[in-house]
Amino acid sequence: MDNPEHIRNIAIAAHVDHGKTTLTDNLLAGAGMISDDTAGEQLAMDTEEDEQERGITIDAANVSMTHEYEDTNHLINLIDTPGHVDFGGDVTRAMRAVDGALVVVDAVEGAMPQTETVLRQALREGVKPTLFINKVDRLISELQEGPEEMQERLLDVIRDVNELIRAMTEEMDDIDEDWTVSVEEGTVGFGSALYKWGVSMPSMQRTGMDFGEIIDLEQADKRGELHDRTPLSDVVLDMVCEHFPNPVDAQPRRIPRIWRGDADSEVAESMQFVDEDGEVVMMVTDIGIDPHAGEIAAGRVFSGTLEKGQELYVSGTAGKNRVQSVGIYMGGEREEVERVPAGNIAAVTGLKDAIAGSTVSSVEMTPFESIEHISEPVITKSVEAQNMDDLPKLIETLQQQAKEDPTIQIEINEDTGEHLISGQGELHLEVIGQRIERNQGIPINTGEPIVVFREAPQTESREVEGISPNRHNRFYITVTPLSEDVVDTIQHGEASMDMPELERREALQDAGMDKDTSQNVEHIHGTNVIIDDTKGIQHLNETMELVLEGMEEALNDGPLAAEPVQGSLIRLHDARLHEDAIHRGPAQVIPATRQAIHNALIDAEVRLLEPIQQVRIDVPNDHMGAASGEIQGRRGRVDDMYQEGDLMVVEGVAPVDEMIGFSSDIRSATEGRASWNTENAGFQVMADNLQRETIMEIRERKGMKQELHEAIDYF
Amino acid sequence: MLTFVGLGLYDERSVTVAGRDAIRSADRVVAEFYTSKLAGATLDDLEAYHDTDIEVRDRAGVEQSPGDILDDAADSDVVFLTAGDTMISTTHTDLRLRAHERDVETRVVHGTTAQAAASALTGLQNYRFGKATTLPFERSHAGDALPQSVLDTVDENRQRGLHTLVFLDIDAANDDYMRADEAAARLVEASDDDVLGVVVARAGSPDPVVRADYLSVLAEESFGDPLHLLVVPGDLHLMERDALAALGGAPADALEALVV
Repeated sequence: MDNPEHIRNIAIAAHVDHGKTTLTDNLLAGAGMISDDTAGEQLAMDTEEDEQERGITIDAANVSMTHEYEDTNHLINLIDTPGHVDFGGDVTRAMRAVDGALVVVDAVEGAMPQTETVLRQALREGVKPTLFINKVDRLISELQEGPEEMQERLLDVIRDVNELIRAMTEEMDDIDEDWTVSVEEGTVGFGSALYKWGVSMPSMQRTGMDFGEIIDLEQADKRGELHDRTPLSDVVLDMVCEHFPNPVDAQPRRIPRIWRGDADSEVAESMQFVDEDGEVVMMVTDIGIDPHAGEIAAGRVFSGTLEKGQELYVSGTAGKNRVQSVGIYMGGEREEVERVPAGNIAAVTGLKDAIAGSTVSSVEMTPFESIEHISEPVITKSVEAQNMDDLPKLIETLQQQAKEDPTIQIEINEDTGEHLISGQGELHLEVIGQRIERNQGIPINTGEPIVVFREAPQTESREVEGISPNRHNRFYITVTPLSEDVVDTIQHGEASMDMPELERREALQDAGMDKDTSQNVEHIHGTNVIIDDTKGIQHLNETMELVLEGMEEALNDGPLAAEPVQGSLIRLHDARLHEDAIHRGPAQVIPATRQAIHNALIDAEVRLLEPIQQVRIDVPNDHMGAASGEIQGRRGRVDDMYQEGDLMVVEGVAPVDEMIGFSSDIRSATEGRASWNTENAGFQVMADNLQRETIMEIRERKGMKQELHEAIDYF
Repeated sequence: MLTFVGLGLYDERSVTVAGRDAIRSADRVVAEFYTSKLAGATLDDLEAYHDTDIEVRDRAGVEQSPGDILDDAADSDVVFLTAGDTMISTTHTDLRLRAHERDVETRVVHGTTAQAAASALTGLQNYRFGKATTLPFERSHAGDALPQSVLDTVDENRQRGLHTLVFLDIDAANDDYMRADEAAARLVEASDDDVLGVVVARAGSPDPVVRADYLSVLAEESFGDPLHLLVVPGDLHLMERDALAALGGAPADALEALVV
């Protein structure tokens, strides 16, 4: 723990059901943390009852273990991450804490959509990948493949993964070495987490085993012998120690990628050099609840040494929090220690203001880049307590949930008691609901899941005048759709108001924004950009904050159905202001700009957008018709159908709204023979013939007037 | 007919005779007190004095939905009341213009206003005032600092040797009226410059207060019930100097520095 060169911080990430958690159990058993016999069945990482029940990992979980490699004891801090697409936010946060990602791929299924997603999440954080191909036993025992077929299949998987890595790292100038994985280099492992054996090129050289022998043993059902001769944990942990960078190697490269503060400052230097005597800097990646210790903030210590009693700043909040205890993970247990130096993953109590994503430090400093998780919430459910007595506790619990998982959005309504939770998918919300009932013992009623909509302009508006109630203040604005490239740039956090102006300007220009426009960016709200094109208007500077407040209000509640507006470029061309500050206060300026934005959006033919999902279904040939029918019957579109192995793959897109209930429908349509994967794929303009009807439904649900602005006559 | 009547500075008796006549003969009387108020009279006092019902409107009721006022004014006599004068500082020109658009006849009956009191009670000559400004509560404008435009107005006036009338914000919804001591304190803090200021409290009442001293001194004093206003003098004429000394108790050194 004290020597950063002997620490490896790693995450295990994969497509759902490719075997991450079973693999993690193996590693823990290999390190003596859990019993060798139960590994693989125990799923030590899936501590929540619902995780064991559903057989999937929902929360990213922290464990640590030690492993002797080349006669040196290494501390391996490991985070197991969820594979289901609904919980992608946890994966992104975990990647911030680690320097290496062990990507697990099922030998039979190969690289799947979520494999690509987790790879992207890792690389974006500057985290180096290695590959473990799991379930190789199935190739042998189920598919009866010989050595050559098997080798070909494994090479196919490696090639696919490398193609993804190459495409993603090509444009990253801070990664100059080759990050593709290779058998020869020893950055690829194979094996079976279920039967606890694994091999890699170095291990085969060491043990003298080859594939022929493995196949023989596997076929003879001598898996115990396989495990004894070439245990999975040794192979993988050796790979971890050998090929993943330690914090001293990783931080100089990662800090510039995840932190935009002054690169010449003292704190920058002490983070890059993992200086345990420097100022304390920790990035919180996870908030958990311990029934005894209360709230636990876990995260990566990038600099300094955490100790009990320290008073630390928490980004985004005023004042300091006092550290009550510091600890590390040993196995799956949190163990209190005196101090945790830079380079480790620490578990801290007392940081009551911290949320997942906070920067915690002993000096006031630029916070880390917000952890980007692109998926915006797409589905909302109402939640209310069954008993009046539980009202306050429910609010507290909901707020706690949002603190632990920033991909959830909570809207508290104290008047009606009917709160809204928005999240990544049906399962995501279902899990949250169950946890409230089960863990907090609050019986709740939940509403039907509702899709989250967006509104976006479709064309350029004319110049619109916004007039304040006292008519002394006028604002002249236009709205036009932003290019997709600019929206992407903003969504990826490559252009934000938190970064230095010059950098933002460059990023926007790279995305195709013209130079003048990029220089006049006044604000970015969601994926909307506000440009100040005015020149030398007296008093505008002290009014701008109110102008933006009015605009934000207008963008949060769009003119069609009070859904968030996205992708609009707003230009303030001119303004006329009252001489005296009191006559251009909030009561005047906010309504004026809000109304101007709404009118301009309407003039730009604002339309309703709905979230869509990419759907991939793997299904036997004779059920293919039924499977594609399930997509087409949901206002969906089938883009591709092709053979892969003995299965047919159907790919397409469909609206999230129609995908509610998909799981049970596809199961019955294909007699349970299909496996499928969905991934949120942003928002898409709804067809004109559905616009009015959908808008009115939303308005009715929200208790809004059943009539639209008279100028909305374009659909 | 829509008649705008200024109620004057302090209580129900501050209105002009012409204004009183207009109120008493009106079919409908509407008032707003969000821009200022009569510190010495309640609504009941006003209604009793004029023997009429008065309907009080909030800002939205005047600015956003004045339709019914204008409708009635088309075929009957409607009077619209404010404290002070209806067209000074917070101008109701907008309402008057809307009436004109509808061909509704309008008339203005003046009332005395703070602007008049600022000259009349202090002896500062009305010819020598520059732009006026309002010192807002923090909650009434964006940001928590004093708006730069307030400081700029005072500075620009002073550079030209002119006095600045500083209106003090009122928050009618919360019945909160900025006091001159608070205003003086915020000006000193924001400008880093301790200059002469003149406080006028309860203008129009039987016992108005006028007090002239350094802003830092004024910040430590208390001037009683609202309404207050503050003047930051520019250069002083001899008569102005004598008036501030005699009526406001200004210290001699502060005055001499301003005499040119």
